[in-house]
Parts: sequence; C-alpha cells; structure tokens
Amino acid sequence: MAGGRRRILVIEDDPETGEQLVDSLATSGYEVDLSVNGDDGLARGRSADYAVMTIDRMLPGMDGIAVIRHLREEGIVTPALILSALGEIDDRVRGLRAGGDDYLVKPFAFAELLARVEALARRSATVVKETVLRVGDLELDLVTRTVRRSGRDIELLPREFQVLEYLVRNEGQVVPRAMLLQHVWDLHFDPTTNIIDVYVGRVRRKVDGQQAFPLIHTVRGVGFCVRAPC
Amino acid sequence: MSVLLVKTLRSSTLKLALICIGIFGATVFALFGYVYWSTASYVRSLADQAIAAESEVLRKAHGSGGRSALIAAIGQRTADHRAAGGLYLLADPAYATVAGNLERWPPALKGSAGQDNFTAPEGGPAAAHRGLLRATFETLPDGYHLLVGRDIGDLDAFAGKIAIALAWGISLIFILAGVASVSVTRRTVGRIEAINATSRAIMQSGLGQRIPLRGTRDEWDQLADNLNLMLDRIEALMGEVKQVSDNVAHDLRTPLTRMRGRLEKASGRPREAALDQSVIADTLADLDGVLRMFASLTRIAQIETSDRTAAFRTVNLAEIASEVVELFDAAAEDKGGHLDAVGAQRALVTGDRDLLFDAVANLVDNAIKHGREAGRVVVEVAQGDGGAVISVVDDGPGIPQNECQHVLKRFYRLEQSRRTPGNGLGLSLVAAVARMHGARIDMLDNAPGLKFRLCFPLPSPPAFGSAAVAAERAGR
Repeated sequence: MAGGRRRILVIEDDPETGEQLVDSLATSGYEVDLSVNGDDGLARGRSADYAVMTIDRMLPGMDGIAVIRHLREEGIVTPALILSALGEIDDRVRGLRAGGDDYLVKPFAFAELLARVEALARRSATVVKETVLRVGDLELDLVTRTVRRSGRDIELLPREFQVLEYLVRNEGQVVPRAMLLQHVWDLHFDPTTNIIDVYVGRVRRKVDGQQAFPLIHTVRGVGFCVRAPC
Repeated sequence: MSVLLVKTLRSSTLKLALICIGIFGATVFALFGYVYWSTASYVRSLADQAIAAESEVLRKAHGSGGRSALIAAIGQRTADHRAAGGLYLLADPAYATVAGNLERWPPALKGSAGQDNFTAPEGGPAAAHRGLLRATFETLPDGYHLLVGRDIGDLDAFAGKIAIALAWGISLIFILAGVASVSVTRRTVGRIEAINATSRAIMQSGLGQRIPLRGTRDEWDQLADNLNLMLDRIEALMGEVKQVSDNVAHDLRTPLTRMRGRLEKASGRPREAALDQSVIADTLADLDGVLRMFASLTRIAQIETSDRTAAFRTVNLAEIASEVVELFDAAAEDKGGHLDAVGAQRALVTGDRDLLFDAVANLVDNAIKHGREAGRVVVEVAQGDGGAVISVVDDGPGIPQNECQHVLKRFYRLEQSRRTPGNGLGLSLVAAVARMHGARIDMLDNAPGLKFRLCFPLPSPPAFGSAAVAAERAGR
C-alpha cells in the first residue's frame, strides 16, 4: 500500500460525477487522471501505470465494456472497477466477463467506492502468508481458527470467524456490506434487509463486549471497519 | 374496394396460390402433351405397319412376276375401294408415272429408298387425298421406282383436335384456379384486415378494442380469440403497471417531500454545525431508503424480464436454508425468538443460488418481522416426488385468506404491518424468483401463523450454462 505509484484512472463522462470521483480519490491520497470518453480512456489506460481504473459503463463513443475488452486483449491487466447505472443482474455478468474486476451500481456511497478501489489496489500487491492476524489486542489464529482478545479466548461460530477475518484483513478500510456478503457468503446481491448489520452486531458483541475500547466500527450507510485505537 | 384489391394483389396467399397454379398447370401441360405425343405416334405406327405390309406384297409380286405383275397388282389395288386410303405409284427411272393413283412422283421424295410425309400434288385422280400423306419408296432392281403410302390426314386432324382440347382445358384450369385463388385470398385478406384494423384502433385509442369473431370456430376465429386473450392480459398488466407507478410515485414522494422540507427549513435558518450535521445524516438515510426501494424495483423487473436460465445450476435448498438460518439467527435472537432449519439434508433444484438465497432470506426476514414477538420461525426443506419444497413457517398473525393473492403484488402491505419497516417489495421479489424457477407458491394457515411454501419442479439434467457461471465466479 505504501510507496509505489498510487495513480488511478477515472473514466467518467458526467462532469459532476467525474469531479466528485476525482475529489474523493484525491482526498484519499491517490493521484487521479480523468478521461471523459472511452477513446481517451483507452489511450490513457494503455500507458498501464495505473494501480486501478474506474470505468463508467455507458460512455460516449466507445462504451466501458469495450474499453476493458480492448485493454485486456492487449494484455493490460490493470484492475478495473465498473461503475454502472444499468441494472445489476445481467450487466454484472457481462461486465465481469469482459474482464472487469469489480462492479458497483450507481448511485453509490463514496466510502464504498473507496473501499472497493482500495481492495483492487491491494490485490496487485504481494499477499503475505500470515498465520496470525493482529489488530490492537485482538489476535486471530488462522490455523487453529481461534480468537483471543487481551489474552482471553472468544468463542466464534465458523462463519463469524470468517466475517471477523475478512474485516481484520482489511484493517483500517471500510468494508461495504455487499463486499462482506460476497466474500464470506459468496452471494452477489445487496440485501434489502439490515441482516448483515445484525450479524456483524453479534460478532461485535462477542469481540468488543466488556472491552475498554471497540475494534469493530459501523460506517453509516456503507459497512464496517476494524480499527485499532490510535 | 380498390384498397382491398391492392391488398389482395400484394397478399402472400395470392402469391402462394399463383405458384401452386403454375406448378399444377405445368403438370397438366406435361400430361396432356404426353397423351398427344403417344396417341400420334401410335396412330403413325399403325399407318407404318399397313404401308410396310403393302410394300412387302408388291415387292413379292415384282419378284415373282416381274414388272407386269407389279403393275397388275397396283391396278387391282387402286381399283379396290376397300383399300381406300392406299397410295401406289410406279415410276420409270426418269420418275415418269407408269401406274398408280398418284398423278406424278412427289418432288420431295429423292434418293433410292426412304420414308417421308408430304402433301398431295394438286389435281389428278388422287385429288381425294388432299391431306397429309405418308409413304415409303424404293428403287427396284430394274431401276423403276415404287412408292407405297397412306393418307394420314385423319390422323393429323385427330392430333389437331387433341391439341385444341388441350389448349382449352389448360386455359379453363388457369381461369378457374385464378378466380378461386383470388377469392380465397380476398377472404384471407378480409379477415387479416379486420385484425389489422383492430390493431390500428388499439394503437390510436387504447386497449379497449377487441377483434370481432365470426363464430365459425375456424382457425381465424381461434387466432382472433387468442389475440383477444393476449389483449386482455396486456390490459390487465398495464393496469398493474399503472397501479405500481402510482405506488412508486407515492412511496417516492413521501420521503422526497420529507427531505425537501428538511433542507428548505435548514437553508432558512443560520448555519449551526450540529444541526446541519443531523439534517445531512437524516437526508442521506432517507435518500438511501429511496435508492434501496428503487434498486428492489429494478431488481424485480429484471428478474421478471431477463432469461437467466442459462446461468442455472444445481443448488441444494437445504444448504441455502441452513445458511439463511445462520445469517438470520442473530436477528431472531434480537427479537428474543428462535429460528431453526429442519428437514431433508439434500433437496436439489436447478436454479440461481443468489436469487434463491435472496428469496428465502426475504421470507425469513418477513417471518421474523411480522411473526409473533419472541416467536418461533422454522425453515423446512423436503424432497418430495414432485420436486424440492422449502417452507418458512411462523407462529404470528398470518395472512387472511382473502389477502393471499394481493400480498405478492408490488407495494402491497397488510394493514397490520403498515407500521413495520419495509417497502412492500419483498414478496414481489419472492414471487418473481419463484416464477423464474417454475416454482409454485402456497400460503397455508399454520394455525396460528403462516406457512409460506415454495414447491419446485424436479431438477433438469445438468445445465449447459456452467461456463457462464464459471466466468461469473472467476470474475468475482
């Protein structure tokens, strides 16, 4: 995450949305280039020194999916996040099949966009094989699947462990509900109910209950974040 | 009328009829032609046989008695009226007539021997033979020329009559067939025109019109009947769409009005960080609610219209049940209730895991929300002979029988649940998913409570869509 180029290519034709995307990504420490149409986006994408690109699905000239397909055919593997105002059910498959890496339906919360961009940026970085994850005084042993906090064992169901593991692996990052559902339950939809909140709430009670400080935080309207107190 | 005529001429039925007439006419023509040809050649062969027999007799007479015997034989034959129609001529080497009933040697016949048709020379004793003649001729060993022939004028006239009959017959057939096909086409065009007229009327003035039936119960009536049924269905659906858009308008305007009022009020008062923050937070929350409702609506619409069966694969309902129960366990616990999965460990259906999960999750969510406080919700899975069945059972107030049909409609909410959070779209989604999977929905009285049952058909053999599924999963 640290060091290296953290350049992002944003291909978005709507000027205001484009500006908002650039602003929020720049605020998060990225260097951002903006393309307002598919052809320019393809030309910039070819330079291939971007950590991530976000591509609007419908663009004047060449559409988003065609841009990704062209880049992939040329062997450019920059992770691509598709932003689409089209419905999810069919379009997600089409986008991902064309070589997109993640998919976000408009309108979205910028926190969710940042979380997904961050996840894609990290994907290209090397993955360290750890057996124990630590955040503050919380310790997850990935081999024995046990959790300890302040030296005390915490009993978690297997799925609860997976939820906590995913949150801890993304320490400091906001994990949107849909991403959690996708990675822990292998489901690709945004639940219409508040069920994930309730589920994470239970994990939180087990992990943060009767502790001096909480580790699992809810980010309103988006998802959750595991963060050690500074 | 002229419009009808133009339509008749353009009609595909007429074109088809004309093609049929053409093929039929060609066949008749070929058949008649064959009859003509075989009749003519049969009659000709009879004449040839007779000529050959006469030639033979005369040649024998010449062989045994010389030229005088031949002349006698010719004289006898030309005198005999029974042999009428026979032609005989003996000519010297310079083709001057010696004996016979032909005036002179026909100029058309040249060479030492042969067979040919010719017309009789004008005048002379053979004037009776006006028509076409046919003869064989040869040069005898003594240099004289002998001709034996017959009048084939009758045969010619016969063939001519056949040809005329043929021409008449074929013209009659074409005329009759033409009239028949035009009248059939007009009838067809007339019926289609009735359907077209109704279609135009519908496009211009709405779905109230129906295609008139003639009560003949023929295929046209059946077509009209089916089209009318389709129109009924479309009208009903349009009605539902209107109902839904009214509901959308209502359910959108309510939060939008709230947001607008809040922002207007906030803009009119002096800035105050804490208050502004809460206005922004509330507005975001309302906006998220609106977007969620919108997402649900488009999701249902997509499920209803898209063909996802290509991405179907074998899914175990029992697995989905236990995962949903695991996910919602915390929610049930929060309300002090119980949530359990019971029944078969294996109940296979062919379908889309995400959508099935979503549907079952919605049912369980409803059961927990609308069931009895601290009640018990059970997800039952069974593998019957007819296919897999999954039921979500609660012990709450249930749904009155007369409301069962309505709860699947978009935005429909029971009076008793108006106060609970939700947008009345959950069961619409369940219904759309069920329809996509060919599953039947039963809402049974659990006395007390509701048993919402989804009965799936037996799974189809391994789907071919596995590649698409693999792509989707790989891209994740």
